[in-house]
Amino acid sequence: MKKTIRIIAILLIFVLIFIFLNRLLKPKYAENLVEGSMINQYYNEPKDHEVIFIGDCEVYANFSPLVMYEEAGIKAYVRGNSQQMIWQSYYILKETLKYEIPKVVVFNVNSMKYDKNSEEVSEAYNRLTIDNMKWSKEKIGIIKESMTEDETFLSYVFPILRYHSRYDELTEEDFKYLFKNKENTYNGFLINKNIKPVGNLPVKRVLASYGFSSECYEYLDKIRELCNENNIKLVLIKAPSLYPYWYDEYEEQIRKYALENNIDYYNLLEKAEEIGIDYSMDTYDAGLHLNITGATKLSKYFANILMENYNLTNFKGDPVYDEKLNEYYEKIK
Amino acid sequence: MNIILLILSAIIYLSYGIQNCIYIVFSLLSSYFVAKHVKNKKMLLAITIILNAGILVFVKFLPYTNLNFLAPLGVSYYTLQVISYLVDVYKGKYQYEENFLNYALYIMYIPHLFIGPITRYDEMKKQLQEKRKITLENVCNGLLRILWGLAKKLIIAGRVSIVIATITSDTLSYNGCFALLAMLLYSIELYSDFSGGIDIVLGISKIFGINLSENFDSPYFAENVKEFWRRWHISLSSWLKDYVYIPLGGNRKGKLRQAINTLITFSISGLWHGVNYIFWGIIHGIFVLFGDKYKTRFKWLNRGINFLIVSILWSFFIWNNDGTAIQMIASVFTKFNIGEVCSNILNLGLEVADWIILIISTIILFIFDGNKQKLKEKKINDEIRFSLICTLAILILVFGIYGIGFDVNEFIYSKF
Repeated sequence: MKKTIRIIAILLIFVLIFIFLNRLLKPKYAENLVEGSMINQYYNEPKDHEVIFIGDCEVYANFSPLVMYEEAGIKAYVRGNSQQMIWQSYYILKETLKYEIPKVVVFNVNSMKYDKNSEEVSEAYNRLTIDNMKWSKEKIGIIKESMTEDETFLSYVFPILRYHSRYDELTEEDFKYLFKNKENTYNGFLINKNIKPVGNLPVKRVLASYGFSSECYEYLDKIRELCNENNIKLVLIKAPSLYPYWYDEYEEQIRKYALENNIDYYNLLEKAEEIGIDYSMDTYDAGLHLNITGATKLSKYFANILMENYNLTNFKGDPVYDEKLNEYYEKIK
Repeated sequence: MNIILLILSAIIYLSYGIQNCIYIVFSLLSSYFVAKHVKNKKMLLAITIILNAGILVFVKFLPYTNLNFLAPLGVSYYTLQVISYLVDVYKGKYQYEENFLNYALYIMYIPHLFIGPITRYDEMKKQLQEKRKITLENVCNGLLRILWGLAKKLIIAGRVSIVIATITSDTLSYNGCFALLAMLLYSIELYSDFSGGIDIVLGISKIFGINLSENFDSPYFAENVKEFWRRWHISLSSWLKDYVYIPLGGNRKGKLRQAINTLITFSISGLWHGVNYIFWGIIHGIFVLFGDKYKTRFKWLNRGINFLIVSILWSFFIWNNDGTAIQMIASVFTKFNIGEVCSNILNLGLEVADWIILIISTIILFIFDGNKQKLKEKKINDEIRFSLICTLAILILVFGIYGIGFDVNEFIYSKF
C-alpha cells in the first residue's frame, strides 16, 4: 500500500513538473511578439460588446474600439490576429458567440485572397493566433484547419513538444508571466505611435490568378450563415491599408458576393481621403497599417457609419468604459 | 500473443509498400519449407542460401540504379537470420520449426527489422514457444530501456548530427581538424544512434516478454580493433564468425589462410553495409590482423588509440564516398587548423548550451558504459525505477532534438 502511494506521488510530481515546463517554455508574448497575447485578452473582458471585428492585422492595427466608444458610445472588440486566415476568423467568431451575441460582426476581407496553399500560411502565424486560445471545440477545429504539413496536433496540446529548445532562450519575461498575461491591447486594438510615411505608391503587378479560392468562399459562407443563425448583421470591410495591393478584380468579387447575399460592404480604402487619412503621417510602416492618429480618424469615421446604420446602443457614460478611455489616453499621450 | 505480434508486424511491414513483401515472403516460405528437408542435403542448402543471399547482394547494388525503391525493409537483417537457421538445421544443431506462425514471427518480428539485432533461432525458439504475459515489471524495465535509447538518440546523436551535417556540407572549408572533429563526433553519434535504436528494440521486446541479446558491450572501451569487433554490433560480428569465418577454416589452416579468411570476412561485413563499404571492411580486417602490434601496456592509451583508429575509419560512413573520405583523412595529417576550429566552434550549428549538454550527456553515457556490469547487478526498487522513467522522460522532452526539421525516425543503421 505504502509502495503504491509512493509510486503515485512520484507520478504526480512528474505530472506537475511536466505542466510547469509546458508553461515555462511556451512563449509568453508579453514584451515581444505581443500579437500572440491578443487572443487570450478577450477572455478577461466583460462580454457586452455590440460590435465584434474579425480579421487580420488590418483590423487590430486600424480600428480602436475605445475611440468608437468616445465618438458614438459603441461597445466593440477587435478579435484580430496577425495574418488571421478566413478559416481562423470563422472559428474565432464561433468561439466569441459562445460568450456573447453582438449585433454586428465586421469582417475585413483582405484574407479572402489567401487559401491554404498560400505562402502566407505559416506555423509562426498559426502559433500567434492559436497558442493562447482557450481549449474548446473551436480550438480543436482551428488547429485542424490551420496546421501546416510539418505541424502536429499534439504539439498544440503539449507546447513543450514545440518549444522545448527554448530552454536556452528563457528570459525574465518567461518567469514573470508564468501564471499571468500582460494586457497589451485596448479592446483588441494594438497601439502604435510611430510614423513611417508611404514612400512609393503600390504598383499593380500581374498575377497568375485573381480569383478567390472556393475554400475561402466556403468559409465566408460559413461566417454568413453563423451570423444569420444568431440574428447578427454581417458587415464586410476593406481596411484602408495601401499594402498589400488590393486589386480591382478582388473588389469586383467581394462586391458581387455582397450584392448576391444582401450584405453591406464598405471599401474604406476608397474613402481614405474622405476619412482624412494622410499617408505621410498616419501610418507606422509605410502604408501597411495605420498608426494611432490614422486609426483614430478611421475609428471615428466608421463608428458613425455603424451608429447610423445598425441600430446600436449609445453606451456613453459607462463607468467601466470611461475608466478604460482614461487609461487609453494616458497610454497614447 | 505471437499471433498479435505477427499481425502487427505484418501490418507495419505492409505500410512500407507492398513490394517489400515479395522478398520477405519468398525468404520466409523458402526457408520454412526447405528446412524440413535440408538435413544432410548440401545442394538444397546451397541453392536456398544462394537465392536468399543473392537477393541481399542485389539489393546492395540498388542504390546505384534508379530502382532503389525496390529495396525492402530489413532485408539485411532477416536474410542473415534465414541463412543461420538453414545452416543450423542442416548441421542438426536444432530441429526445424514445425509451427509456421512461430517461425514467421522470428523472421518478421518488426522491431528488429529496422535496426537489428540479428537473432538466432535457438535464442528465440523457446521464448516464442512458451506462453508469455505482459507483466508490470517487464513493462517498466522495457520502458526504461526505451527511454534510455531515446535519450541517446535524441539528446546525443541528434545534436552531433547537426555538427556533422555542417562539416560535411562544405569539404573545401571544413577539412583538417574540422574533419578530425567530425570523425570523433561521428563515433559518438553512430554509437548513440545505433545502440539507442537497439535499446528501443530490446525495450519493446521486453514489454512483450521477449529477451533479445545485447548488441553492444561498451565498444569504445576496446583496446584494439579486434576487441572492438567483439563489442560492436555483436550480432553481426558473431554471425560472420560462425557462418563465414569458421566455415572458411578460421585460424585452423595456418597464418596465411587465417589472414585471407579474416579479410574475406571483413569484406563481407563491408558489403553487408553496402557496396561502397567493402574497402572500409578490408581496412578493418587489416587492423584486426595487426591488432596486437600497436598495443601498449597502458590500458587507457590503447583505448584512446583504438578510438582514434575506429573514428578515422568511420570517415567512409561520414563522407559516403571513398575518394572524399581518403581526402579528408589525408587532410587530418596535413592541415593543422585547430585555431580555426576553436574560433568557429559556435558556427557549426550548436549553441553554447547545446555543446554543454552534448559533453555532459556523452560523459554520462561513457560512465554508464564503463560501469554497466556493476549497474546491472544492482537491484533497484520500483520507486527508483519509476523515478528514473520520469526523469528520463523529462530530460528527453526538454533536451531532445526533435520537432520541425528533424526526422526522429531516421536511424543511421536502418539504411543498411
